Amino acid sequence: MAMVSLAKPDNEKRNARRRPVLSRDFVSILPALLLVLVFFVAPVLALLSRSVTEPVFGLQNYIALLGSSTYLKIFFNTFFVSVLVTVISLVIGFPVAWTLAIMPQRWAMVVFAIVLLSMWTNLLARTYAWMVLLQRTGVINKTLMGMGVIDQPLTMVNNLIGVTIGMTYIMLPFIVIPLYGVIRKIDPAILQAAALCGATRFQSLRLVLLPLAAPGMIAGALMVFVMSLGYFVTPSLLGGTANMMLAELIAQFVQSLVNWGMGGAAALVLLVVTLSLYALQLRLFGLAGGERT
Amino acid sequence: MTSKTIIASLAVLLGVAGQSFAADMVFTSWGGTTQDVQKAAWADKFTAKEGIKVLQDGPTDYGKIKAMVEANGVNWDVVDVEGDYAIQAGSQGLLEKLDFSVIDKSSLDPRFVTDYSVGSFYYSFVIGCNKDATTACPKSWADLFDTKKFPGKRTFYKWSAPGVIEAALLADGVAADKLYPLDLDRAFKKLDTIKADIIWWSGGAQSQQLLASAEAPFGSFWNGRLTALSATGVNVETSWAQNITAADALVVPKGTKNKEAAMKFIAFATSAQGQADMAAGTGYAPVNVKSPALMDPAIAKTLPDQQTASQINADMAYWAKNRDAIGERWYAWQSK
Repeated sequence: MAMVSLAKPDNEKRNARRRPVLSRDFVSILPALLLVLVFFVAPVLALLSRSVTEPVFGLQNYIALLGSSTYLKIFFNTFFVSVLVTVISLVIGFPVAWTLAIMPQRWAMVVFAIVLLSMWTNLLARTYAWMVLLQRTGVINKTLMGMGVIDQPLTMVNNLIGVTIGMTYIMLPFIVIPLYGVIRKIDPAILQAAALCGATRFQSLRLVLLPLAAPGMIAGALMVFVMSLGYFVTPSLLGGTANMMLAELIAQFVQSLVNWGMGGAAALVLLVVTLSLYALQLRLFGLAGGERT
Repeated sequence: MTSKTIIASLAVLLGVAGQSFAADMVFTSWGGTTQDVQKAAWADKFTAKEGIKVLQDGPTDYGKIKAMVEANGVNWDVVDVEGDYAIQAGSQGLLEKLDFSVIDKSSLDPRFVTDYSVGSFYYSFVIGCNKDATTACPKSWADLFDTKKFPGKRTFYKWSAPGVIEAALLADGVAADKLYPLDLDRAFKKLDTIKADIIWWSGGAQSQQLLASAEAPFGSFWNGRLTALSATGVNVETSWAQNITAADALVVPKGTKNKEAAMKFIAFATSAQGQADMAAGTGYAPVNVKSPALMDPAIAKTLPDQQTASQINADMAYWAKNRDAIGERWYAWQSK
């Protein structure tokens, strides 16, 4: 207040105009903030606090979780599948984003719509569709056996293959969209310049295009990796019990075994890893992620 | 401006929370065809008779029951749970004692009655086989565990519950009357021999899909799901040899605001007619001993209560006591 009265009259006017705008901004996010606090932050904290209070106060749940080879294997599965899905999504997603960026606008819209449409279809429906396609008596096996390519059905569900295929498909849009944003902003003249300077196509890809697209790739990859870490539906339907992931373990602790101490401990481990990766992303790219060039 | 917004957002929050008080009572079960029948055979007729509206919710979630009771915000009034869970939850103080002045237990099968629960229906784990997909069907648990005589995938219930461990021990030659206490080492050793050939089913619909598509041409199933599948035209063979019975139970979470309605609902559901309608619709057996007399004899003949000759009752009290320990070991073994 004192500052305002000391300021020049026109400054005062400006401040008077700005201030309500700021508080109105805050007020308008209040309902969302309240909703998140009441329905997300509070219950999550309550579950996490149980990890050190149940059955007695202490770190027993963390010792049990990190000291057992069974649970360590589930941590390993979670990271392994997430890395695998991220890498494959990048390898498939890059050409798609690139093609989208250089296509005539009208066709790009169509392809983009296809990418988005799959994203908007119900997750369970998509996962069941993969089950129908991949199972031993499914469309793919029947076709391959009919063509005489194989004589025994391939096992593609209830194992690592099923999880990887199902999750890669679901994660692809999350890589394509940020990558598309970045690649579209690359001036095609730069590639022409590279070609004029005698770069081969591979050289201009490696030395020009990839470095310029890197922010989008890293942003997309981080997003896919983080989302994969906590994925539940697809691994539980397309994976076998031997490929169990962390989210399934948490659900099992909370729903079936009703051991909330262990459930909270596993959830905290997942949360810490996820938030660290998110912090890394923020540091590297800021809030806008891949949109910034 | 500010306070108005806060009030508005609070009103939105309360509006969302308040909706759960609009119904007269809530019945929660596992979804699928079983809950459809429970709605038709129990809830709809109960509403017609008593004028109490019954909302359906699901699926049953033990984590949610515990959360509701602890937060003193119970909005599930009657819940269909597994029999061993009912015993355990009762002893943990999560359930209301049932009012047997409202619920008539004199004609209920005493195997399925405790202070805190009565049977909802009872079922058998039986051996099912898709006759169109295989040349020979396994007839016994020993057959189902014999991958030489019966090569191919077989399906079993995924969750830690009475049924699969018993089947493994029976297949390994343990006598039916020597099953309990369960020899877990022996059971897991036996299960190891077929582990690579097991596809797990996590719900009834999935078990039907696996059998119908011949993804797993045989396995262990809830008998009612086989009855339903065969009614859709799938060529199913059911072997009742050493069928293992387990029951679902109806319970009332502690602290419900509709206790009176809940007791009336359970009384209606476990009445001779309620149980007869339920059994006719699902292929599971009634827990009311007077129900079979009310049923079409042709249907009554297909129920588990006609298969007592080689029937084995899973020991719910044993399971209730050891549920957590077996569960931990089961899931650890599965994920190996």
